[in-house]
Amino acid sequence: MSKIVIIEDTEKIREELKTFLIRYGYEAAALTNFEKVIQDTLKEEPDLILLDINLPVFDGYYICREIRKQSDIPIIVVTSRDSEMDELMSMNLGADDFVTKPYNTQILVARIENILKRIQGTAVQDILIYKDLKLNLSNGSVTYKEETAELTKNELKILSCLYKNKGKIVSRDDLMDFMWNADAFVDDNNLSVNVTRLRKKLEGLGMEKNIETRRGLGYILP
Amino acid sequence: MSIKEYISDKLPFLLFNFILFAVASGIMLLIKMGGSLIFLMFCIWLLPLFTYILIEFFKQKNLYDELNSILDHTDKKYLLSEIMEEPGHIEGKLLYEVLGQVNKDMHEHVKSYRDRENEYREYIETWVHEIKTPIASTRLIIENNQNSITRNISGEIKKIEEYIEQVLYYSRSNNVSKDYLIKEVPLPELIRKVIKRNSRDFISKGISVDIEGVKGIVYSDAKWLEFIVNQLIGNAVKYTQEENGKVEFHTVKNQDNLVLSLKDNGIGIIEKDRDRVFEKGFTGENGRQYGGSTGIGLYLCKKLADQLGLEINLTSELGKGTTVSIIFPLGNSI
Repeated sequence: MSKIVIIEDTEKIREELKTFLIRYGYEAAALTNFEKVIQDTLKEEPDLILLDINLPVFDGYYICREIRKQSDIPIIVVTSRDSEMDELMSMNLGADDFVTKPYNTQILVARIENILKRIQGTAVQDILIYKDLKLNLSNGSVTYKEETAELTKNELKILSCLYKNKGKIVSRDDLMDFMWNADAFVDDNNLSVNVTRLRKKLEGLGMEKNIETRRGLGYILP
Repeated sequence: MSIKEYISDKLPFLLFNFILFAVASGIMLLIKMGGSLIFLMFCIWLLPLFTYILIEFFKQKNLYDELNSILDHTDKKYLLSEIMEEPGHIEGKLLYEVLGQVNKDMHEHVKSYRDRENEYREYIETWVHEIKTPIASTRLIIENNQNSITRNISGEIKKIEEYIEQVLYYSRSNNVSKDYLIKEVPLPELIRKVIKRNSRDFISKGISVDIEGVKGIVYSDAKWLEFIVNQLIGNAVKYTQEENGKVEFHTVKNQDNLVLSLKDNGIGIIEKDRDRVFEKGFTGENGRQYGGSTGIGLYLCKKLADQLGLEINLTSELGKGTTVSIIFPLGNSI
């Protein structure tokens, strides 16, 4: 499990962010002593740091520079200062990414995932396994027992979303949200067509029981 | 200033001298003094007087001609007292000093307003950054407690964020400052980012999006562009009906520019309103009918685009839809 340290002086954000990250399967620690924030951070040995810029005692730029002197831990700067200048400055000080407040949480998670994937290489799963079904995210193919089929970009996204919520009903709205956040701007009809095709492909592989429609609620991978 | 004007200005003085001279000559004639004496009196009285008037005239004429030519050739006319050379004669010196003082006072007066405006602008910037913190925590709370109620709140929060962003850019647009940073901006990426920001609205209204036709890289400030495109998308979504709504983006590369167009199939704009949509505070027929319009969005887009050196124009057909184009001149685009 990847560990993320949150350096943020607003208590509400700190706590909610911690809850949020834990919900997404990360181990999260929030620092509260800003006097020795740099030592504390390094002591935690995190895999990633979320760093605010406006902080008491030392500002984020300073902390960023100091941590960089001693360690290569990836840093995402999270700030409400949103001009291109601030972004450039953070990058120059060695931050790995820059997210502006108030952030879209999906985007924040995506950035975190991206950076961890880049740093840890294979640590993030590229192959999702569900019963006898193997979903290969890197080449977009799906294998059931011995049979393999290619999926389109959209089908792959639908299936991975349902996989992430396996056993739970995913509403059409949530599925749409997921698709749009992943750059697939599908409309209502498109989605239905894609789900139907995906279902046919899975049936073609011999997987008789696959995606189910729950009328008025959404889809589920049981 | 002509010699005629000058003389007519000095007329009472000259007339007075003439009359005195005439009276004196009359008396001299009466007491039978010689004509040569009268001529001598003329030489020591009126001749120096005329010479003096002429010299004075040229001095004054030179001074005012110089001032006029400065005024004609500078666009910042208030700088007159800084540009003009200090005249050598007393009247000119006095004028020079007076102008200098007036100018200095005016500068201080203007400066006090400029300071006040800057202070206000700084306050707005700080305020905007401060209010983002509670909004960020609200967003996280919503994210951690998802249900239909928080989903609704989330929609409203998005509106608040949009209004706040408008305030920030409004205050930035009034200032010719170095707030922007020109760098490479890939248009497809930018458009995708803004669409994602508005995804909820697209999805809930069932409006489809087509960005297949967007290609190319421009050189501009990404944040400012994002704001402009976001305003345009906001309008497109707002004025597009629920059924078969469609927003289409595409770019056209011409010889000397790159045109990014955003086309919706919404309600369109009535002809008499079309030319005025970029005016500040103009809401028009659509604003009256649909409400929630402040007449600031497009005005700001235009203003920011001007500062970035971009052209922005709009065509529309009532009932068929609206197309807004942003034109990136060559040199800004590859």
